[in-house]
Formats: sequence, structure tokens, C-alpha cells
Amino acid sequence: MEDQACPRCKTTKYRNPSLKLMVNVCGHTLCESCVDLLFLKGSGSCPECMVPLRRNNFRVQLFEDPMVEKEVDIRKRVLRDYNKKEDDFATLQEYNDYLEEIETIIYNLCNNIDIIGTNKRIEAYRRENREVIQRNKTRMGREEYELEEMLELERAQEEARKQELAELETEQKKKKAREKEALIDELMCSGKDAAEIVNEFAEKVEKLREEEKKLPPPKPATQFSTGIKFGRTADQMFLPLPKAEEGPLYVHKVPTLYTEGPAAPATAEIESKGFIAHIRPENSAERAGGYKANLACQRALQEALMGLYFGAPTVN
Amino acid sequence: MFPLSSQKKFWTFANEQQLSELRLQQNVNYINSHGAEMNQEQREAFFLLLAEERVLIKQYELYLNDFCRRFEPPMPKCVVGTAFHYFKRFFLNNTPMDYHPKEILATCVYLACKVEEFNVSIGQFVGNIKGDRNKAMDIILSNELLMMQQLNYYLTVHNPYRPVEGFLIDIKTRSNMSNPERLRPHIDEFIEKTFFTDACLLYAPSQIALAAVLHAASKEQENLDSYVTENLFVAARDKLPALIEAVRKIRFMVKAYELPSKEKVRLIEKKLEKCRNQENNPDSQIYKERMRKMLCDDDLELPLDSSYHVADSSADMSMLNMSQESV
Repeated sequence: MEDQACPRCKTTKYRNPSLKLMVNVCGHTLCESCVDLLFLKGSGSCPECMVPLRRNNFRVQLFEDPMVEKEVDIRKRVLRDYNKKEDDFATLQEYNDYLEEIETIIYNLCNNIDIIGTNKRIEAYRRENREVIQRNKTRMGREEYELEEMLELERAQEEARKQELAELETEQKKKKAREKEALIDELMCSGKDAAEIVNEFAEKVEKLREEEKKLPPPKPATQFSTGIKFGRTADQMFLPLPKAEEGPLYVHKVPTLYTEGPAAPATAEIESKGFIAHIRPENSAERAGGYKANLACQRALQEALMGLYFGAPTVN
Repeated sequence: MFPLSSQKKFWTFANEQQLSELRLQQNVNYINSHGAEMNQEQREAFFLLLAEERVLIKQYELYLNDFCRRFEPPMPKCVVGTAFHYFKRFFLNNTPMDYHPKEILATCVYLACKVEEFNVSIGQFVGNIKGDRNKAMDIILSNELLMMQQLNYYLTVHNPYRPVEGFLIDIKTRSNMSNPERLRPHIDEFIEKTFFTDACLLYAPSQIALAAVLHAASKEQENLDSYVTENLFVAARDKLPALIEAVRKIRFMVKAYELPSKEKVRLIEKKLEKCRNQENNPDSQIYKERMRKMLCDDDLELPLDSSYHVADSSADMSMLNMSQESV
């Protein structure tokens, strides 16, 4: 980003932080103020390649490489005509050839290879396939329309569900009010025991509530408008964790001491056989560090005996 | 663990023939690359012969030993042993004409101090060197990495000192020899002498230690043969002949060692001054130029006439000033 600069006025992003680079169909960049200056009349030619350009074709450069911008532009233009779908072809091979051709055309246009010839080719294609292009265009329009419709439907369903819920709620409220009134009426008019009446009503309410519970809850939405299911299925989108291959379990093997000499006395023998008597006993600091005289003694003995067979022919 | 060490694998050789072949190869390579336009006679007159190289190296081994003995603070024996190993290893794959032995000597000792955990700073270290200390410091530090590279980064050295201790403990424990401690002076002397030979490039440290012990015993009119056969090789009699041969060889090498003659060394040093690789001579123009370039690469701001230590030509050649000392 730091070396983004307008090729005409040499302003850089560093000097002018609000620098906006624009790009046109030829793929050459210009900064916004240069565009304002050069294309005051609405059209002019690119200062680098002299291609006539129109001002309203300038866009803000999205990619760092202006060549990419140019390619995006060209691709858009070419695909407007080359809009066949896979089911327009009899075999996959044909479809692939067709795609290959599109890429060749785009490459040629991007890299200024045989521009006239390529443009002629596009023109010829357009003439030959005018009907197909038109049909595909309308088909694409239709597909878009269908999608729009689907979204509309979705919205309507949502609306209906909300309304249903609201109705249900008001219904319940009304019911409760009615019951209350009935209870009061009963208490006022009948000659029964008041406590009995209250109990009776309480039981009724209880029963109703239980019935309500039995009603199934409203079905939750299980898919997006596009038809992609959500919820559980989404979880399964993740790849399953690769199962670590379980090798054989670790088994500790005592490392073999390769001495190339006579065996040195074992740790126990250092003291029992009296080797320890011939070495300076450790002082308290050494003992604190864990270095006892028998270690030093054993090491000296091991090193003395190790390698004594060096140079001797080995018998296998 | 000598049997699994890099010392055994890469730095212990089968015979003296191999060693001299390696050294001859280095000598020939140097002469071929530096004396391309000379004829045979001129070459012989100008360059060091292999034999002359050997005399020179021998002399510097004496200096090395002397330098270590006088080192202040006194250094442990294993540092000396390791330095000797490094020195010998270095000149197996390099010729003294390429790298002057006195510079390599100091570098070897410095590196050995580090590896053997004998902690001296470079300032303290060059305090033991007579002459221009800054220059010596620069030489040592700039050669240190080269040294390690030439050693192929195999820095662990197994010295015969610990095996000697082991044998003494074992003899005290398992043989009936009276007062084995009296062997010690002879052992130390013998081991010191083995470092002037190629024994440490040919035999295991424990073999050298055993040779020293047996040699010391014979000096004290003791016989440890039965200790060797009854205690050490009781389970492996078939390995005994190889050991006997090794001990015999080591003792022979020590016995055959002779001091280099001073007159010869003086002449060789003179010859070396002319034929040495000037690119590695800190007093030569080429070297100074190279150093300045290297420095300038690092730091482009450096002025041309900056006083870089190595480029300081006021000092004389007596970097280590050792050739004047008696040995």
C-alpha cells in the first residue's frame, strides 16, 4: 500500500492520505483529482495508452494491482455475452471447451494479444448465438424473480405466524376473564357453599391448563428461505475429527550400556566392594546438589573401563 | 561415553598412515593453489614441506602446553587436554601455512576453556598473552567460529584424566599393590607427553590412561600385568592382544618423541612468514582490506580510516611472544 502513487501527478498515499486511485477499462490508474482535471468534458484519452475513455467508466481501484481491475472489467463484459449454462451443452467436454474459450478471450484482451481478432471473435459469437444469449438473459432474470418470490413468501409466512400467536394470546385472555365472571356469577346466584364453588372452578382451570399443554407447540422453522436447512444439519457440516491412529503402547526398555570394555561395577558394588573408600567424600554443598561420592566414583570407573576394547576385532 | 562419542566416530583414526595422508593432502592442496606458476624446485624452496610443517606444529604444541601451565588463574588439566585435541584436529584439515599455528593455539585454548566450563572472560584470557592484547583479542574472537566450524562442531572431548582416576580407584580396591598414589607423578608426566604425540587421535582415552598407569608401574618396579589380565580382561581374553598392542604403541610413541631443534624451527618460521596465506595474516594489507570490507558491509557509515583494532599496524608481530620464551 505504501507505494501507491498516481502515475501522472506522482502523489502518494503517504503525502495525501485521502488519495483515491481510479481505474478505467484500459487498466491504467489515475488519482481522483487527475481524473477531475483530465476528464472535465466527460471524455478523453488515457495519458498512458491513449485509449479514449469515458469519465463515468472510472471506478475506485479495489485491487492493488490495476491489471486485476482491468481483468475484472473485461470479464464482466465478456460474460455478458458468453452466458451459456452447463445444461446448454450436450457433453461436459463441450462445456469445458467453451469455458476454456472464454478464458482465452479474457486473457487475450487483458494482455493486448490480438485484440482486433478477439473482438471479431466475440462479435461473431454474438451474432451466431443471439437467440441463446437473449434466452439466457431472460432466464437469468426469471431466476432472480423466483428468488424474490421465495423471499416474499417467507416474509408472508412469518407475518402469519406472528398474527396467529397474537390471536392465541388474546383468546386466552378473554377465556380467563370469562371464567372469572362465571365464578363470580355462580358465587352470587347459586345457593351452594362458597368454598365448594371455588374448589370446583380451580379444578376446572387445572384441567384446562393440562389440556393446553397437550397441544403440540408450533412447528419451528427448519429451513432458510433458500432451502438450506439449519439447526442440527449445520453441525454435521464440520468434518469429523480425524481419529488419531493408535500405535502400540509405549513400553519402557532399559537402555543398553554400550561400553566396549569390561563391565564396570554396579552402583551397589561401589560401596559393598569398597571402591568408595578411595575417593574424596562429598562435602555438604555437593551432597545438597545430589552429587554423592559414589556417583563420581562410578563415573571414573566406567570411563576407565569404557573403550578398553577399542581397536580389537569384534566377534559377532 | 567414549564408545558412542563423536570423538570415536569422527576424530579417532585407524592408523598413523591415515593422519599423514590427511596432512599431506592439505599441504599439497595449499601448494597447488598458491604456487601454480612455480616449478618443483621453486615450490620446495618457497613452501613448507610436510616434515617442516610437522616440526613447526610440534614446536607450537610445546608452546601450547607452556601457555596452559603458566595460565593465570591455573586451569584444570582437562582444559589443556581438550585444547590439544582441538589443535591437532584443526591441523589435520588445515595447513599451518594457511592459518598460523600461534593464532590457532590461542583460539584452541580459549574455546577449550569454554567447553570445559573453565570460566574466564576474554579480557582475563588475553591478560595471559604478552604483546598487543587488543589485537590478540580480535584474532581469537574472529577465529573462534572458524575453529568450531573446522571441528565440525564436535566439541566434546574425552580426556584420559578421569579414566586415570578410575584406574587408581580400581587398583587401590582390587589389587594388592602398596601405595598406588606414588604412581601419580609418573602418570601425569606420561599423559602430558602423549599429548605431544598423535596418540589421542588414534586410541581411546582409557587406553591412553591404562598405558600411563602401566608405564608408571614399570617405573616404580611394580608389575600390574596380573591386574590387567585377572581383573580387567578376565571375561574377554580375546580382546587382550589388541590392548597390549595399543599400550605398546602408545608407549613407543611417547618414547620416540623428540624435541624439535630450535635452529630448524627458526628457519621454518622465517620461511612461513613468506609463504603463509596473506589473506589470513592480520598484519597484511590484504587482511586489513578484507576486514574493513566486512566491517563496511555491516555498517556502511564507517569512515575509511577508522581505527579498527586488527588494522592497527603499530604492534609488532609478537602477538603471543612465545618464540622468545624458553620451553
